Amino acid sequence: MELQFSQVTKSFGDLNVIKQFDTTISNGEIVALVGPSGCGKSTLLHMLAGLQQPSSGTLTAGGASVARPSPERTLVFQEHALYPWMTLLDNVALALEFQDKPRKMALAEAHKWLSKVKLAGFEDYYPHQVSGGMRQRCALARAFIARPKVLLLDEPFGALDALTRMTLQSVLKDLIEEERPTVVLVTHDVDEALYLADRVMVFSQRPATVLKEVELGHIPKTHDLSVFADVRREVLNLLGIDTDEHTPADSQGETA
Amino acid sequence: MSNSQTTGVASKRAYVAAIAIILFFWQVAAWFLPDFLMPDVPVALQRLWEELNSGEFYEGLGNSMSRLGIGYGAALFFGIILGLVGGTLNLVRSTLKAAIIILQSIPSIAWVPLFLILMGFGNMPIIVVVAIGAFFPTALSVMNATESVEKVHISAARVMGASKLQMLKRVYFPAVTPELITGAQLAFGNAWRALISAEMIVGFSAGLGKSLAYSGEIADMTGVMTNILVIAILAAVIDQVILERIKHRLLRYQYL
Repeated sequence: MELQFSQVTKSFGDLNVIKQFDTTISNGEIVALVGPSGCGKSTLLHMLAGLQQPSSGTLTAGGASVARPSPERTLVFQEHALYPWMTLLDNVALALEFQDKPRKMALAEAHKWLSKVKLAGFEDYYPHQVSGGMRQRCALARAFIARPKVLLLDEPFGALDALTRMTLQSVLKDLIEEERPTVVLVTHDVDEALYLADRVMVFSQRPATVLKEVELGHIPKTHDLSVFADVRREVLNLLGIDTDEHTPADSQGETA
Repeated sequence: MSNSQTTGVASKRAYVAAIAIILFFWQVAAWFLPDFLMPDVPVALQRLWEELNSGEFYEGLGNSMSRLGIGYGAALFFGIILGLVGGTLNLVRSTLKAAIIILQSIPSIAWVPLFLILMGFGNMPIIVVVAIGAFFPTALSVMNATESVEKVHISAARVMGASKLQMLKRVYFPAVTPELITGAQLAFGNAWRALISAEMIVGFSAGLGKSLAYSGEIADMTGVMTNILVIAILAAVIDQVILERIKHRLLRYQYL
């Protein structure tokens, strides 16, 4: 599903978050938005989900204006979006039940999707009984079960440790390759953006403007960062991180 | 699991100890006061046993319990609805909440003269007073809980395509259940106090409060203490056994 922003502006009171933003995301494309905290990336994502409306300008999905949320465009949140009073199975099945699918069929599908994200055997656990990584696997299953045409991800793995994050990125990559939705990923993690995306948009401070777009389509998707070395340095420099430093500074952590 | 069991045993022990201490102080008072002012504990227990074998007692118990059931039940039902609706309506919420806080500060027994004249001598004024006592804490707890339902839980349901009714049933209601139960237990205390005092004042047909008031009028102190005993035991059983069970049932996921 093609997504198109034309002259989209969003302000909250006097605060200008997004100013005359234009871009087109083609069907099946995987786009990552990276930029400093509070630059408006998440607002762009929430507008795509239909949770927020542009103050002016138009935003279309598949040619139709985005006015409200739709299961066609689903959003994966950073964390705590699973319902604590439901088992993992019920959490995943709920996505279909909200579309008035019969409960029996929803549960059968949920079983299938939980095993796809390697959570078979954990169907009857409650979210607080499993690890953060497992919760996000479940959140991915809940997003994919509705077979969305557009998958929106709002720092989906931001709260996970580095190793779990890399495993989850692979799980996500496989699911995307299988289902081929159009993907918009908001992330603080430059490496995550480079690993998953076909195109990375680097944002400035608020109001969000695009500093640079990097096409990655030709680079194979791998966790071996050496293939991204040049673009990675470029993107980090744009975000104000000095890659020539000889001391191992943790400035990346500061911007993230 | 083992944790909640040990606390269960500990709280049972605490209850047994507390009952023993209360009965001890009562007995000490009985030793110092003449029998017509304060009966011995065994004498009251003896009377209780006789009461339990008389039909009259059960008639009063039945009347009181049905007044409680109807009044408390109606209060929970309307309190939950008003709480959920009021909690989601940003415009009226603070006014509604202020109104509830003002009305709540009126002891429910103060409404007796009004409803007695308005509705006439009978069950109705007692039931209404019981309902008023239980309604406000229920509505207030549900409203506060509804207000603080996590935004991400609401957004997640919206992107999954939940209808208003589905949202209320599958998201808001389970999310407010923990606070609702606390509110309902508080409401039960209010309802119980309102029931006994209204029955004492109104004195319509048999009932626990009327029986207590009558014993007082004829200076039957054994009868007074026996009635107080019944009132205390019933309240403890309903609150600590029935309501606690329901709570564990509904919040099963929290105790795993």
